[in-house]
Amino acid sequence: MSSVIRSEFRKLTTVRAPWLLLAAGPLLVVAGITGLVSSGGNVHDPATQRAALAHTGLAAVFTLVFGILAVAGEYWHSTITDTYLSAPRRGRVIAAKLAVYALVGGCAGLLSSGAALATTAAWWAERGGQLQLSAAGTWLTLLGGVAANCAFAAIGVGLGALIRNPAAAVAVALAWFAVIEGITGQLLGSALARWLPFYASEALSRSNLQATARLLPQWGGGLMLLGYAAVFATAAVFTTLRRDVT
Amino acid sequence: MAEIEVRRLTKTFGRVAAVRDVSFTAPEGKVTGLLGPNGSGKTTTLRVLLGLVQASAGEALIGGVRYDRLARPRQMVGAMLESTGFHPGRRARDHLRVLADADGIAARRVDEVLDRTGLTAAARRPVRQFSLGMRQRLGLAAALLGDPRVLVLDEPANGLDPGGTAWLRATLRDLAREGRTIVVASHVLGEVTLTADHVVIVSAGELRFAGPLSEIGDTHGALESAFLTLTS
Repeated sequence: MSSVIRSEFRKLTTVRAPWLLLAAGPLLVVAGITGLVSSGGNVHDPATQRAALAHTGLAAVFTLVFGILAVAGEYWHSTITDTYLSAPRRGRVIAAKLAVYALVGGCAGLLSSGAALATTAAWWAERGGQLQLSAAGTWLTLLGGVAANCAFAAIGVGLGALIRNPAAAVAVALAWFAVIEGITGQLLGSALARWLPFYASEALSRSNLQATARLLPQWGGGLMLLGYAAVFATAAVFTTLRRDVT
Repeated sequence: MAEIEVRRLTKTFGRVAAVRDVSFTAPEGKVTGLLGPNGSGKTTTLRVLLGLVQASAGEALIGGVRYDRLARPRQMVGAMLESTGFHPGRRARDHLRVLADADGIAARRVDEVLDRTGLTAAARRPVRQFSLGMRQRLGLAAALLGDPRVLVLDEPANGLDPGGTAWLRATLRDLAREGRTIVVASHVLGEVTLTADHVVIVSAGELRFAGPLSEIGDTHGALESAFLTLTS
């Protein structure tokens, strides 16, 4: 098992694309917070500070795509054949990818949270606000954002193993993110909508984009995302085990 | 004990039977040529043997064991398939290191197989810069990485220049002489007569011949006429 994990790490460290993708996370955070402040966010309002820091969770869109490419990218480049020749017990490959991608996704989230904190501090200093590091929400917001980055990387691994075409998998994920979940949420009503994955992620990362929705508590959102990751991972393992590689 | 045994193997994709009740043995220390027209079931047979495709019936064993039961698969079986791909941005040496890591093979072996396949000078170039022949050599390097007892190669001469083809032939003969079991699927009958001891001929998913090449005659002409008769 450890050899499969080592191999997965080496796959990541020997190509550039995943790192460019993950680097987009902190950039999105910096841009998002800058936009929030320059569009008139009040730096004296604790809620604005929380909203700024909550941008960490938005970077999870990149760890999701990063995760999708773990398996779907291998099908795209036909490297999956060699991967399964090395590890014919395919459950191990999926498990190793889940572990490695969740860890790297979490680290990317950590960088994004650092970027969020630094950008917020810089803008608050510039605008004469007082950054409330000791406020109860500050660290929980950052922590939730990091956890969301980690969870979406794992969800991506499962999704990319289910939909092996990377473009299709990314399109499905982004369509769900941008459109489908919102509509589904409206159909279900806010009492049920809050159980959906991106509502759960908003609860976890405290980034209430859809302020009308009644969200789960932060820990509840975290558990729901963990559940989604587990469901996708299980489905991925079961469909992967017997599928012919041609 | 590292012979290959295919026993009453059948594989259907939907309603199409790609392989029907095929049995043959590839003995140790010999090169076995697996021949057949396009779509005859050669590649499917090799994929079942390597655990990439599930048999519908029957089995394919390596030294009496199914591929997915091998503890260190690359150290028992080296394989090169036509569909094996490379990440275009990964350097050749890194590609081999990824594979070595997965099977607990020492990094020293990576440099050895690069040397053996004549890729040392190109080792630090990304695969996107490689010609077809160089990719083929890299595929062979990957197959040789675990110093395996068994080699399974699908059209290994594809894209090699005459020098590369001669090198491949000599390499396969050497490897067989060391007691390894070698199976080569190929269209190039002339090449098979120069390298193979045994031949297995399949057509439309069914076995047409399995036995020593000498039973057919080891000239290109004899093999070609036998091939055309058996597969028509």
